Amino acid sequence: MENALGISGPQATLMAITASFTVLGMAMLLAAMLMKRRWKPSYAFEFGFIAIMIGLVFYADWSSVNTYSAYQADLNAEERRVSGEYVGEGEAAFDRVITVIAFQWGFAFINEEDEISRNAAVANPGEKVLFKIVSNDVIHGFNIPVARITAEIDPDEKREMWIRAPDEPGKYLIQCVNYCGVGHTQMKAWLVVQDNTEAADHGESTGENSNDNA
Amino acid sequence: MTTHELDDPRMGNPAHWKPENLVGTMSIKELLFSNEYRHIALKGIFTALIMLALGGFFALVFRTELAVPDQQFLGAKVYMTLMTLHGMVMVFGFLIPVVVSICYYMLPRVLGTERLYWAPAAQWSYWILIVAAVLLVIGRPDFTWTAYAPMSFRTGNPFIWMGHLAIFLVAVSEFLAGAVLVRNAFSGKGGWKDKPLIAWATGTVGLLFMASTIPLGFIGLGLLGDGLGTTAFFDPSRGGSVKFFLYVFWTYGHPAVYLPFVPAIAIIYTIMPRFLGFPMWSYWSGVVAFILLALGAMPIGPHHFQPLYTVSGNYERFVQFLTLLVFIPSVLHVFNWIATLFMKPIPASARRAIPFKFMIFSIAFIVYGGATAFLNAQIAPDSDFIHNTYWIPAHFHAMFFGFVGQMAIAGFYYLYPYFTGRMYHQGMANAHFWLWQVGLFVKITAMGVAGYNYFPRWVYDYLDIPGWAIPQMFITMGGFLIGLGFLFFVVNLAWSAKYGKNSPDDPWPVVHDADTAPAAAPAE
Repeated sequence: MENALGISGPQATLMAITASFTVLGMAMLLAAMLMKRRWKPSYAFEFGFIAIMIGLVFYADWSSVNTYSAYQADLNAEERRVSGEYVGEGEAAFDRVITVIAFQWGFAFINEEDEISRNAAVANPGEKVLFKIVSNDVIHGFNIPVARITAEIDPDEKREMWIRAPDEPGKYLIQCVNYCGVGHTQMKAWLVVQDNTEAADHGESTGENSNDNA
Repeated sequence: MTTHELDDPRMGNPAHWKPENLVGTMSIKELLFSNEYRHIALKGIFTALIMLALGGFFALVFRTELAVPDQQFLGAKVYMTLMTLHGMVMVFGFLIPVVVSICYYMLPRVLGTERLYWAPAAQWSYWILIVAAVLLVIGRPDFTWTAYAPMSFRTGNPFIWMGHLAIFLVAVSEFLAGAVLVRNAFSGKGGWKDKPLIAWATGTVGLLFMASTIPLGFIGLGLLGDGLGTTAFFDPSRGGSVKFFLYVFWTYGHPAVYLPFVPAIAIIYTIMPRFLGFPMWSYWSGVVAFILLALGAMPIGPHHFQPLYTVSGNYERFVQFLTLLVFIPSVLHVFNWIATLFMKPIPASARRAIPFKFMIFSIAFIVYGGATAFLNAQIAPDSDFIHNTYWIPAHFHAMFFGFVGQMAIAGFYYLYPYFTGRMYHQGMANAHFWLWQVGLFVKITAMGVAGYNYFPRWVYDYLDIPGWAIPQMFITMGGFLIGLGFLFFVVNLAWSAKYGKNSPDDPWPVVHDADTAPAAAPAE
């Protein structure tokens, strides 16, 4: 599945680095406990080790910022956003624009035809979808696992997020990931990717999904 | 009475007392109000263990709820209350007080002062925390330990103000504890170059306590005022700012994880040389690491809410960079410990000592959980599967429980013969030890797997999505193993206080010959 952030590559590298740290640390601890040979490491050894660590810090910083900036550059292309306020003229760059209202407790998805769904955002396979997210009460989260992206929404601010819808038609989870009160658990919704080669609704029906604009 | 030859004067005096039945001879009045350092410390340690039992009980109840999807025996409200109390009781009631109390116990002896300076402040710190705990239990807040505004004063619970007041009292209590730690770090003979590492630890972390609890106190009062409608610091509907809350809260919230972490490190630096019979590999490496950790703690709080704002600006990048750098002091510590273990043969007596075993495995857990910090610090993976999924509980349970909690238990087993005059039962202690290691490993690993599958935090029920139900079942099983281990621990400490073998003058002799090394204590 292609993801919106496109961070699989660097993330796999970084996870491998993390895993190798763990293995290295465990192996050294085990060796210190079990090996017959005793050895007083020189102080230079520690400085060398720290130098490698600092190199990794620079690498991680570079990799993370590049990845995330690439994602945001797409969002900010052609000056669509001016100091955090959405001004609207660039929506054409996206196949679909969905306004999301997060509230205690649920989501409301409003499509370009002003149709509201309480539990489903509908898109066609492979579309670039822009979510304009607001919260009207407390801090909420907005996470689409299949798109590998999380945002949280301060009730004072608007957030925008874009994803590339999966190519495979189906239902994909959308969830709140920030504790927002006792009903946090029920803040779940679906990203419904419909099969646009067939006119009628496909496979799983999504209850009150009314905005079937194929 | 013999102690070990620790040739480095910077080690301070050995953390060694004459074993005596201190708990048995303590009167109720002494227990409650005595300013003698060991009485204050024991009161803190035992209260913290009660909190551990309470917090662990809450955890087992809601773990049972989470074991399988779609089955409910707890409602959302009850679940979230238990979850909130679990977090608050464990962090504010167990982790921080227990390691601070162990430092109260060790500092006066290691520094040679034989008294806890500013003991009345430690006394007040203790009693204020008790009031806070009572308020929490009566108020039963369900806003999680982070108490995010404006959610935390819109819960519909009429007693929620007790939760806010408790946060303020926790801040006051920790501020006082920090002042005591700093004052005592500056006590004793010798200049700053001769201070043992435990004094460096408590000095730096004490300053961090005092600096970081001021924002927490403000958060407590601000939430209290906002909740009662008299102020509007954090309520956006009345002109307050959520952003303001987040920055102030996490200025405490990130140092809060170092408040138990650093004293636990100090316990390692104090007891590891006692078991090995030789000083640490490097003194200055430890000192530099303590200073760097204290300096790095406060500015990096915003990494806890990275996905809330546009996150590739220069400030966010600065925070990310500092967060990555703060990895380094911890690496210095771990490097120092492993290098020390490498230096000379490890005595057979140490290999059999339960505190030493706990210490080695807590180092393993700091490696296991700490390595993921490198990933968590970065904005891109954090915006993917890390932020507020179970990946984060996996990380902090490895650090908080796998490392800090287990070091506290190591410190407890270490001190046990000194304050009861008797040795613990080796078999029960081993059962406790292995149940905890297996339970913790299973629990933490399963949490990481669930988090990698985007399992969200703070839910009382979940959909039967592939990759969710099986790790949850494993976490619950790990939790029950830990609970069983805790039962062995409690039975052991109660039984051994009365029936354990009498402790020799030095409960922790360094013996290299495996045949003559004592299993727990030499038979009289």
